[in-house]
Amino acid sequence: MLGLIVRRLLALIPLLLVVSFAVFSLTYLLPGDPAVTMAGGTNASPEDIVRVRHEFGFDDPLLVQYGRWLKDAAHFDFGNSLIDDKPVSEEISRRFPVTLSLALSAMVIGIMIGVPLGIAAGMRPGSVRDKVGVGVASIGVAIPNFWLAMVLIAIFAVDLGWFPAIGWTSFQDDPRDWLSHVILPALALGVWAAASLARQLRSGLIDTLDSNYVRTAWAKGAREHRVVGKHALKNAAIPAVTVIGLQISTLLGGAVVIERIFSIPGLGSYLLAAISSYDIPVIQGVTIVFVLIFVVINLIVDISYGYFNPRVRVS
Amino acid sequence: MNDHDLDPESVYSHHPGLAPESDFEAGGAGGAIEVVGGATFGPTRRAMRRLVREPAALVAAAYLLALLAATLTYKYWWPYSPTKGDFNNVLRGPFGHHWLGTDRLGRDIVARLLAGAGVSLRASFQVVITSLVIALPLGLASGYLGGWFDTTLMRIMDGILAIPALILALAIAGVLGPGLTNAMIALSIVFIPSFTRLVRAQTLAVREETYIEASQSIGSRSSWLLAARVLPNVASPIIVQASLALGAVLLAEAALSFLGVGLQPPQASWGVMLSDAYEKIFTYPWQMMYPGVAIALTVLAFNLLGDGLRDAFTVDTVRRRRRGRAGLTKVTLEPADAPVADHGRTDDALLVVENLTVEFSTEQGTHRVVQDVSFHVRPGEVLGLVGESGSGKTVSSLAILRLIPSPPGSIVGGSIRFDGTDLLAADFDTMRRLRGAEIAMIFQDPMSSLNPAYTVGNQLAEAVLLHENVPRSEARARALELLQRVGIPDPEARLDQYPHEFSGGMRQRVMIAMALICRPRLLIADEPTTALDVTVQAQILDLLRSLQAETGMAVIFVTHDLGVVADICDRVTVLYAGQVVENGEVHDVFARPRHPYSAGLLAAMPQRHTGLGDLASIPGRVPPPDNMPEGCRFNPRCPYAVSPDCTTVPIPVQISERGALVRCIRADDLDLREAIKQPELAPEHEATQ
Repeated sequence: MLGLIVRRLLALIPLLLVVSFAVFSLTYLLPGDPAVTMAGGTNASPEDIVRVRHEFGFDDPLLVQYGRWLKDAAHFDFGNSLIDDKPVSEEISRRFPVTLSLALSAMVIGIMIGVPLGIAAGMRPGSVRDKVGVGVASIGVAIPNFWLAMVLIAIFAVDLGWFPAIGWTSFQDDPRDWLSHVILPALALGVWAAASLARQLRSGLIDTLDSNYVRTAWAKGAREHRVVGKHALKNAAIPAVTVIGLQISTLLGGAVVIERIFSIPGLGSYLLAAISSYDIPVIQGVTIVFVLIFVVINLIVDISYGYFNPRVRVS
Repeated sequence: MNDHDLDPESVYSHHPGLAPESDFEAGGAGGAIEVVGGATFGPTRRAMRRLVREPAALVAAAYLLALLAATLTYKYWWPYSPTKGDFNNVLRGPFGHHWLGTDRLGRDIVARLLAGAGVSLRASFQVVITSLVIALPLGLASGYLGGWFDTTLMRIMDGILAIPALILALAIAGVLGPGLTNAMIALSIVFIPSFTRLVRAQTLAVREETYIEASQSIGSRSSWLLAARVLPNVASPIIVQASLALGAVLLAEAALSFLGVGLQPPQASWGVMLSDAYEKIFTYPWQMMYPGVAIALTVLAFNLLGDGLRDAFTVDTVRRRRRGRAGLTKVTLEPADAPVADHGRTDDALLVVENLTVEFSTEQGTHRVVQDVSFHVRPGEVLGLVGESGSGKTVSSLAILRLIPSPPGSIVGGSIRFDGTDLLAADFDTMRRLRGAEIAMIFQDPMSSLNPAYTVGNQLAEAVLLHENVPRSEARARALELLQRVGIPDPEARLDQYPHEFSGGMRQRVMIAMALICRPRLLIADEPTTALDVTVQAQILDLLRSLQAETGMAVIFVTHDLGVVADICDRVTVLYAGQVVENGEVHDVFARPRHPYSAGLLAAMPQRHTGLGDLASIPGRVPPPDNMPEGCRFNPRCPYAVSPDCTTVPIPVQISERGALVRCIRADDLDLREAIKQPELAPEHEATQ
C-alpha cells in the first residue's frame, strides 16, 4: 500500500514539471509587457522599463526564468501581484479553503443524489424506474451550471428568500451561516456531478449484475438487496470512483463561474480578476494550485481503489 | 470460450444472438472515452440501420438539423434583427410578433436565440474539427510509433488534462484576449488530449491485431497501413466521441461568453444572453429562461445522438440491451398439449424434470433451446448430462435453480419437482431458501464465479449466514473446515485471501467448498473441470467423487466428456440440439449405445482410443436453434440416416421395458456395438457402483 502511494507520488513529478512549464510559459505569451506594467504602465520611461526588466530577470532566457520561478514556486512563493503588489501565496491561502469547501460540498451533493439514482436505475434495466432515472440524469448533465445557479437564486433566494443570493461566510467563523451560503452554489455545481455519477454507476451496475459472480450470489440464495448492495455495487463502484476523480476537474472549473455568480471570494474570482488585468503571477499561482488540488484528489481516488479492487493492492 | 453461434450452452458468455451479453470489457469506461477494439464496431451501413431504431437519437438529430436550418435562414423569414433594439419596448414579455418578448435593449429574443444558435453550433463544430485535425495525426503517430515519442506526447497530454478544462480555456483566452476566435482556440487546445488518447488507444488496438503484423511481414509501407487499416477502425468511436464533445464545447463556449471572454456584445450568443439576463436577475428573472433552455436542449440533443451512435456502432456482442433479473427465471407455462412421457420409475427420485422447454427471445426471434427435456436423479445417485456445446445441457441445469436470466430466457413448458416442491410454481423466497441450502451449484468458470472484491472466507461464511442463524465466528469455523476438506493447504491463511490470489484449480476447490458448506441434498456441477488444466481436472474429479461418497448427496454432472461420465456417473442422459436423444444406466449405454449420436460420442472418446488409426470424430456441428433440420435433428450428421424417414417428421422417443429412452427410429434395427471401437468400460466405472 505504501509502495503504491510512493509510486504514484513519483509519477506526479514529470506531470507537475510539464504543467508548471506550460503554465509558466503560457503567461509569457501575454500581449502586454510585464516590465512595462511594473514600471508604471504607458507613462514609464524607457530607462525605468530596462531597469525593471533587468531587476526582475525578464531579459534572461526563458528556461533560466522558469528555473528561478520553479524554485520559488516549490517554496510556495509565486511572487507578488502586479496590481496590488501583495504576495500571491498569501491571497491564495486565504481563498483556497473557500473554493475547496465549495467543490467538496458539490461533490457530497453529487454523491448523495447520484448514488441512489444510479442504483435505482441500474438495478432494473429497462424498467420504468430506469427510464425515468436515465432521463433525469441525461437532463442533469446537459443543464449549464451557471444557468442552474441563476434559476436557484431566482427561486430560493429572490422568490422564497430561504437562502442568501450572494456572499460568503467561512466555515470557521459561523458553520451555520457557511451552510446557508454554500448550499445554492454547491447544488448548482452538484447536480451535474450527481447526473454523471448516476449514469456511470447505472451502466457499471448493469454490467456487474450480468457477471458470473453475481450469478454465484443468486445461486447461494442471496436476496436482491444483498446481490445488488454487496456483490454488484462494490465492483460497479470502481469505474464510478474514477469518474468522481475526473469530475473534480470539472467542478473546479465550474467553481470559477459559480463564484462569479454568487460573489464568492474564492480562487476562481481571483483568477477572473487577474485575467482581466493581465496579472501574470496570480494567473500562474492560481492555475498551479488548481492543478495541485486536482492531482491530490486523484491520488486519494487511486488509493481508494485498493478498497474496491483488492487486485490493485498487490500489483 | 467457443465460437459457436447461437450457443445456448454458454448462457453467460459473449455471443451474438441468444446469450445475454455482458459488455463488461467495453463498458468499463462507461460515459468516459470508450476504448473498443476494432472488431467490436460494425460496418457503418448496419449501424445506420440500427440508429433508425433509436427514437431518442433520431429526435435529437432532427432537432439539431432543424436548429441548423433555422439559424441559417432566419434572416429571410423572421421580421426582427438580433442586434437592433426598440427602446420603447424593453424587457417586455411576449407581445405582437415578439413571441418571446424583448431584452433590456428592446431586442427581439427569438431573433437573438436564432442568431445565438448559429454562434453556438459554429463554435462547437469549429472546436471539435480543429482538435480532431490536430489529434488524429498525433494519436496515430503516438500509437503506431510508440517509444519516446509516445511517452513524451502522453506526458504532455496528461499535463494538459490535469489542468481543469475551463481554467485552462480561461487562462488561454485571457492571454490571447477576449473574442470568440480566441475562445475557440483555447477550447480546441482543451479538447486535443482526449481525442489524441482515443485515437492512440484505437491505433494500439488495431496494431495488436494480426493482420497488421501480416501486412508488415509482406513489406507494406507503414503509412499505407495507417491510412488503410487504422482509420476505418478509428472512425466509429471518433464519431461517437465527437458528438458528445460537441455538447461539451457548447457548454464551455456558453460559460466563456457568460464570463465575457467569448463572443463580445452586442452580438448574440446564448452565453452573452445569459450574461445580460444575470444583470436583471432580481427584476426580470424570466429573461434567463430562454437561452438556458436552449443550451440545455441542444447539449441534451448532442448527448442523445452520441449515445445512440455508440449503441448503433457497437455490434451485437457488446451491445447494451435490456436485461432482466438473473434472480428468477420467468415461467410462462402453456397448457400441456402432450401427455407427460414416462421416462422410467421416478417415484423415489429427489429431483424430477419432465418435458422442460426453454425459450430465448432475441432481436432475431424466439428460439426453443431446450425442448421436452426430462431426467431425474435419486438420492445418492450421480447423473451425467452429456452433450456438445449447443445441446442445451447447461440451460437445463440452470433451469432447475431458475437461474436463466429473464429476458431473454423463459421456461415455457414442463415441470421441475424437487422433493415434492414444484420449482416452476415457486416464488422467489421459496427458491431462495432452496438455493445453496438444499440444491447447490458449481459453475464452469471458477475464474469469474468468485467475487473479486471480497475475501474467500467472507464469501464462504456468507453462504452459511444466508441460511442458518449462527454467529459469524461459527460460520468462519465452518468455512475453515470446508477449505480443509476440499484440500486447500494452509486454510487458515487462505480464508483471508482474495480470489485473485488463488490458482484456477484452487478456486474451483473454493467453489466446491462453498457449494457443500450447507450440506445440500443435490449438487449441480456444470462442467466444473472444463476450464482447468488436465492434471487439475483429475484432482477435482477425485475430490468430487470422494465428497459424494462421503455425503451421499445426489449429483447432476453436466459435461461434454464421456470419460468423466464413465468415471463418476451411475446413469447418463445424452442431449442433442435441445432434446434428450438417449438415456440409461452408464454401463448399458457404454456397452450398447442405441442412438447414433451416443455411439459417435463414445467413438470419439480419447480414453477408449487404442492408439491405432485416427481418433474418430462426428463431422459437422450442432445446429443453431434458429436453424433446426427437419425430421431428426441429428440427421445431417448421422451416418445411418435414411431418406425420407429421418428427414421429414419429428422423431418420437421409444422407451424400453427397463425405462431407457432413445430418440431414433432405427434404434431397433441398428447394432451400434461395432461403431464404437474397443467396447470395454473404463475400469473406474466399477468402483463407483
